[in-house]
Parts: sequence; C-alpha cells; structure tokens
Amino acid sequence: MTGLLSLLPERLGDRLRWAGVVAFLALVLALPPLAGLQEQLNPDTNSRFPIFLATTVLVLALWAISYNLMLGYAGLVSFAHAAYYGIGAYTVAIFFTRTHGASLLIGLALAPLVTVVFGFLTGLVALRAVRLYFSLLTLAISQLLYAIAQQWYDVTGGDNGLQGLTVPDALSDYTAGYYFVAAIVLLCLLLMFILVRSPFGAALAAIRENRERAASVGINVKAYELAVFTIASLFAGVAGGLYAFYQHEATPGLLFWTANADPVIVALLGGIQSFLGPALGAVVLVLLKTNLSRNYANYVDVVLGAVVLGLVLLAPGGLVSLPQIFVRLRNRFRRGEEDEAVEESQGEAIRMLDVQKAVHSGAIQTAEIETGAVLLRIEDLSKSFGGLRAVSDVSLQVRQGDRHAIIGPNGAGKSTLFNLITGRLKPSSGRVWFDGRDITGKPVHKIAKAGIGRAFQITSIFPRLTVRENLQYAMLAHRGRTVWPVGIAARIFREEALTLLEGVGLGAYADLPAGQLSHGDQRAIELAISLALGSKMILLDEPTAGMSPFETQKAMELVRRIATERKLTLLFCEHDMEVVFGTARTVTVMHQGRILTQGPPEQVRRNPEVQKVYLGELDMDEEVTA
Amino acid sequence: MDPGKFLLFAVAGLSEAAFLFIVAAGLSLVFGALRVINMAHGSLYMVAAFVTAYVAAQAGFIGGFWTGLLAAVIVTGLVGIVIEVVVLRRVYQSEHLYQLLGTYALTLIIAGAVRILFGASFRTISPPDFLNGSVTMIGGSYSTYDFFMIGAALAIGVGLWLMLYRTPLGRNIRAAVSDPVLLNATGVNVSRLYTIVFMIGAILAGLGGVLVAPSQVVSLDMDNNVLVLAFAISVIGGLGSIVGSLVGALVVGMIESFGVSNRYTAHLSIAFIFIVMVIVLTIRPSGLFGRPEQ
Repeated sequence: MTGLLSLLPERLGDRLRWAGVVAFLALVLALPPLAGLQEQLNPDTNSRFPIFLATTVLVLALWAISYNLMLGYAGLVSFAHAAYYGIGAYTVAIFFTRTHGASLLIGLALAPLVTVVFGFLTGLVALRAVRLYFSLLTLAISQLLYAIAQQWYDVTGGDNGLQGLTVPDALSDYTAGYYFVAAIVLLCLLLMFILVRSPFGAALAAIRENRERAASVGINVKAYELAVFTIASLFAGVAGGLYAFYQHEATPGLLFWTANADPVIVALLGGIQSFLGPALGAVVLVLLKTNLSRNYANYVDVVLGAVVLGLVLLAPGGLVSLPQIFVRLRNRFRRGEEDEAVEESQGEAIRMLDVQKAVHSGAIQTAEIETGAVLLRIEDLSKSFGGLRAVSDVSLQVRQGDRHAIIGPNGAGKSTLFNLITGRLKPSSGRVWFDGRDITGKPVHKIAKAGIGRAFQITSIFPRLTVRENLQYAMLAHRGRTVWPVGIAARIFREEALTLLEGVGLGAYADLPAGQLSHGDQRAIELAISLALGSKMILLDEPTAGMSPFETQKAMELVRRIATERKLTLLFCEHDMEVVFGTARTVTVMHQGRILTQGPPEQVRRNPEVQKVYLGELDMDEEVTA
Repeated sequence: MDPGKFLLFAVAGLSEAAFLFIVAAGLSLVFGALRVINMAHGSLYMVAAFVTAYVAAQAGFIGGFWTGLLAAVIVTGLVGIVIEVVVLRRVYQSEHLYQLLGTYALTLIIAGAVRILFGASFRTISPPDFLNGSVTMIGGSYSTYDFFMIGAALAIGVGLWLMLYRTPLGRNIRAAVSDPVLLNATGVNVSRLYTIVFMIGAILAGLGGVLVAPSQVVSLDMDNNVLVLAFAISVIGGLGSIVGSLVGALVVGMIESFGVSNRYTAHLSIAFIFIVMVIVLTIRPSGLFGRPEQ
C-alpha cells in the first residue's frame, strides 16, 4: 500500500490535477450505469436523457479542447473553428446521403481528412495576417463557408441541412453509442495531450508568450501557427463528425460565426491555461443551458453573457483558477492588506554567479571553426526609412573569436545595424555573409538557427514561462527539436538549463515565472538565452542596460570568460565605455549611420574624430580612467 | 444592363452604403483610439432601432420618427458610457481575446435584454411623412427615404470629419490614436477622453440603427448581421481609418446591391463580400487605408 502511495505526485497541485483527471475518467465510464440506476429507483426519470447530455458534453469538450490548442497554447483567436466543426458534420451527412445510407462510420473516418484539407488551405490564407486581422480574416473565411453550406442546396440541403442519418445497428443502443463516442473523444484528448507536452507544444507556448523572441530563438512562427491551426481543425472535424453521428443531422447553423461562442466560452469557463479545464467548462455550460432553457428560456442569453463577463473581469483563468483566487482572498483577509508573499527575486541574482559552472554548462555549444577566420562579413549595407538613411554603406568584418564592440552616440544606427544582421529588418542594399553563407534578408528564425544568438536592448523573454523553461525552450528551438510532436519538453535539456542558470546566479528562481523577476534579473535571463543560442556568435544589444554597476561588472566578466573558453564570437553595442574598453578587442565607431573608424580600443580612443563625435556627450578618457 | 437599371441599383447600393458607413465609422473610430474591437457595436445598433420603433409607436404619428431618433441617441450614448466605464476600462491592458470576449458577453446580455423588454417579434416603423414617398426619374421610381439616408450619411460623415480635424476634442482623439501615454503626460484626462470616444462610437452605431429602421424590419438578428458587415467594411478599408470606412462601405453596399440584380449571383452576394475581404487582407494585411499594427 505504501508502495502505491509513493507513486502519487509529490506536489499538492499535481495531486489535485491527477485527482481531477481520474474523477473525469471515472465519471465518463460510470455515467450510463448510474443513469440506469437512477431510472430504476425513480421511474419518472429516463436514463436516455442524462446519457444524451453526457454525449453532448464529451463532443463539446473535444471541440473546445481542440480550439484551446490554438487559443490557450498558441494564442490564436480564430472565428473559423465552428466552420471546421460544421464541415466535419457535413462530411458524415453528405457521405451518408450520397451513398444512400452506407455506414456512418466511413463518413466519420473521412471527416477529419476532409476537414484537415480545408483547415490547411484556409489557414494558409488566414495566417498571412497577424493577431486581430488574423481573427477577422478567419471570420470572413467562416462566413464564406457558411454561405456555401447554406446556398449549395443540391449537396448540403440548403437551409434545412441534411437530416435523418441512421446509426449502424451495433451502435444504435444509447449506451453503446455513448461508449463509442467516449472512446473516440478520449483517444483524441490523449493525442492532443501528448502534443501539448511535446517539444512542438513548447514552441507553441513560446510563440504565445512572445512572437518576436520565438522567432529570434529559431522558431518559424508562421509554420508552427499553420501546423497548430491545421491540427486543431482536424480534431474539430472529428468533433463535428461525432455531432452528426449522435444528432443524426448537419445544418448550416453549425458553421455560422456566432457558433464559435460555444467552444470559446467553454474553454474560458474551464480555464485556457489547463488542458482538461475546457472539459469542466463543457459540463457547466451544458447543465446551465439545459436547466435555463427548460424554465427560463428568455434569460439564457443574459445569464450566459453575465457569466462570461464575470469570468473576463474577475477570473480570467477560469474555474480551475478559482482555488488560487480563493487562497489569495483568504490570505488577504487574514493578513489585512498584505498579500500572500508572492515569491519574487530580490534583484542582483547575478551576485550568486558561478563562472566555472556557467563556462562549462552544456547549454552553451563550443564553436567549431578556426579562430581568426572571418565569421561575419557585411558589405555596403544600407537601410533607409523614408528619407532617413539610418545605416549608410556600412562594411564590417568580425573575426571568429573576436570581441567586437560597436559604439556611437544615440541614433548612430547601431540597433538598426543589429536588426539588419538578425533579419528583423530587410536592408535597402548591401549584403551580409555569416559563416560563409549569404544571410541577407533571410527570415529571423533562419538566421538564428545559422548560429547568431541575440540579446535584445529591451528585455524580450517569455514572461509566463518559468525561468528554466525560458532557457529550455530556447535550446529546443535552436537545436531544431521543436518539430517533435512526442516526448516531454519539460524533461529535455533540463539539467543543461539548470546548470547555466546556476552559473548566472538564477538557480534559485528556476521555477518562478520569468515575468516575476526584477529587471536586472530579467536581463540575466536575456543574456542566458543568448548564450544558450550563440553556438557561433552572440549579438548583445546593450547587454547591461538597466543593470546596476555591480551587476554590469559581474555580467561582463561572465560574458568575457564564456566567450574565451567556449570560443564564441561576440558582437555588442554599449553606451558604458568602461564595459566597452574592458571587454572589446576591436571597436567600431558609428556616427550618423556610417562607420567613422575601426581598430583596437587604444587606437580608437586616441582618434581625434572620435573624440569630436563624443565631445559634449562624455569625456572618454575620464570615463575610462574613472 | 441599361443605364436606368444601373442607376436604380447604384442608388440602392448607395443607401445601403450610407447606414453601413455610419456604423462602420463608429467601430473604426473606437478601434483607432481605444485599440478595442467592440463586438457589441451591432447590439447598440439594434437597441437604437428597437428604441426608435418603440418610441415612434408610443409618440404617435406626429414627429414619431424624430422623437424616436432623439430617444435612441440618448439611450445608446448612455449605454455606451456605462459599457466603457464598467467593462472596457478593465480590459484595455488585457489580450485581444479578453476584449473580444468581454464585448461578446455584452452582445449576449443586450440581445437578451432586448428580447425581454421588447419581445421576440419583429417591428416596423414608417419614415416621416415627407420622406415617405417616391421620386420618379430615369429608370424608375426611387424611394425618397433612400436619398434621405444618403444625405444623412454625408452630413454625419462631414460632421465627424469636422469634429476630428477642427475641434480640440478631435485633436485630442487623434493624439490618443498615436500616443495615449504622451497625451496623458500633457495633462489631458485620457480616461475621460476614452469614455467620450466610446460614447461617440456608440451614438454612431445608434444613428445607423435609427436610419435603417424605417427601411428594414427591426428584428432580433439585426446585431449579428450588421456586425459581420461592419467588420468586413473596417477590414477592407483598414481599421481605425474613417476614409477606409467610407470606401469599404461603398464596396460592400455596391456588392450587396448589384449582387441581387442578377439571379445567378443573388444568393452569393454575401460570399462576394468575404471574398473581397480575403483578397484585400491577403494583399494588404492591414486593409486599404489601415496602418500596420505594432
């Protein structure tokens, strides 16, 4: 017995979650016998009705969880999901009527195949736009499909839809039909669960949290969005097929855009951050609608609206977040104004850094090419914004193993140059070669994968992922592992990430959401991500901006050591002259978009032109000797 | 198609474009300043139509429509203020999803409230007597009310332009569109400005509803029907652009009108609108006159 107990998860939260899963499964399996028992005890009731409701709940849960693949895991708000559900239903219904009543099961098998084709093709169009425009484009697509379903009378039956589908004899019994639906739904849920925990799911989470950062760690954002959109449409097709199976019909109303409200409300009600949350939402919604429409039909909309509004305003995490909200309220009540001590970093975590550990961390890849060769070559690179030439005929070479600083006053074009190198901006003219390959105008994720890791001037991390996940997911993406739809992302590169985090002093915060850390510590995460990415070259855009002098000193010491020992090439821009002259071996000075001069630090410092540019900004000699 | 018939359909398309422009301009104005897509915009339009029909019926034949118009403007303005203060203010910082869902919840609540207050049956309302006739010209007979709608939309459009470009309020709204934080720092009460902008948006939806009431049936599915069209218009024209709303409304109005002119395309005019929308967004992801989203 104790042996069995030790199999239980250790943390209370995990226990509750697994208890919820077990309860859900038990309820799904035990429902028909329970309904039968109720019918025997109380002859006024009918066992068919609860079984019918449970079937509705299961199909709705499948539909909503497939929606949540996009919504909760990838951050996509689509209005076309109901259309795929409807297409699934129509596939079953049309196949049935065209073949004069051949088995529904064949239609059911065809449903996901047909839907996935629609999902892929329409997704290709819809994902040309981003965020809100994407949502509105899916709305247009869904209305287009609705119009076809409603008007193409010969095939779809027009306004009336297709009715009177008959179920094969073996499944015509209510209980058998229910178990059939339940088996398919549970299988689909299992597949989706595997998917969201996999490295593929990790890439989706990264995209949801921060599209820009996701691209700069090597994720092809559009491709992953298209993949999840297509996969979600496939499962919606299964759900729609099951709808036709148990409701014996398909109607155009299924495709109308307002029909999307059901899966969205269900997902939100349960909680979009949890996998099975929407299943709980489905139970609540079906019970609510059934009871209201029986006794207060006129009030269904108002009550439903009030519930959704209440969730949006008070509990955006849905029902599964209620225990947390309760705990927070109780703590507030007990301790007066003082909130539950939210674990926060104290800042200056880098005080705890362990250079030795960081330097030998498996998260950092040692560069493999010969030291001294030209790694990055920029030729006559220019970028204009309207009439302004932000970067003008810049040519630059960075050698393998060099620590190359780019300095210059504000507006000199340093950040623009970095954006041109990393692909965020497309150059107006000129070329960029990296490691012997032309990377001019290549997409951000390809350049990242080619071996340029980047730290942004304005901290760009994945705020709701834990500190460790930030690093792990970046490593997964950069090493091309996120294409795997199986395996558990949380277990891959776990140790490597932890070692690097301990190296930069963040070990104690590994399991906190990254957004909760202090500014300086978030800079350290930013730095760690770029280190874990830069197998060849690391681009640091003002790495120490916002760090205290102490943190700056420590961080740069770390960067220097790592770059030296792991043979990494460093290209950075910085305003702090102490950092520049303490770290760089080569300095390039930019002014008004052009390169003013280039050379070893001492030579650059003595250059009269450079001094003129900086005159009035700061006295370099004083700064450096201070 | 002979020129007379062409003119007939063109005028019908213009009158359709007229009320759609007013509604879409409100949606676009609110999005431009508040960066929120108001799903309840169609609901305000429906509320205005029901209020007009109800008040006009109560007020009798003398000035019924005009009393209804006044009541509808007041009601939608007030509802707009309440929505902004109670709901929107709390979701400006949230993700799009919560803004969409919060305002979608309002559409459910408003639809339910209209059903409870006014009943589920449809209503009709006559235009004021002097507009309740027809004009015979080349091609046939035109409803006077269609011309009134076109004129009213022009007047409202010009008024909106004057408000935005010739008044201090309009200057603040345009400033809020480009940088609300900076505007706040200059001492403007941005929070109150947002309430005013949303109220104007709500009133525009309301005016659209009032204008359309005498020319169509006032029913419970008005909200979703107009919302989809207003989205299509805003997206074709570019969200946040009033000129875009005008162009988008003309495109949609003409497609609807000329779509029904031919029996082969009659059922598909709605599909054409969305095909245009898909084509525009595929080529220009921010619409014809929209600025790319940051």
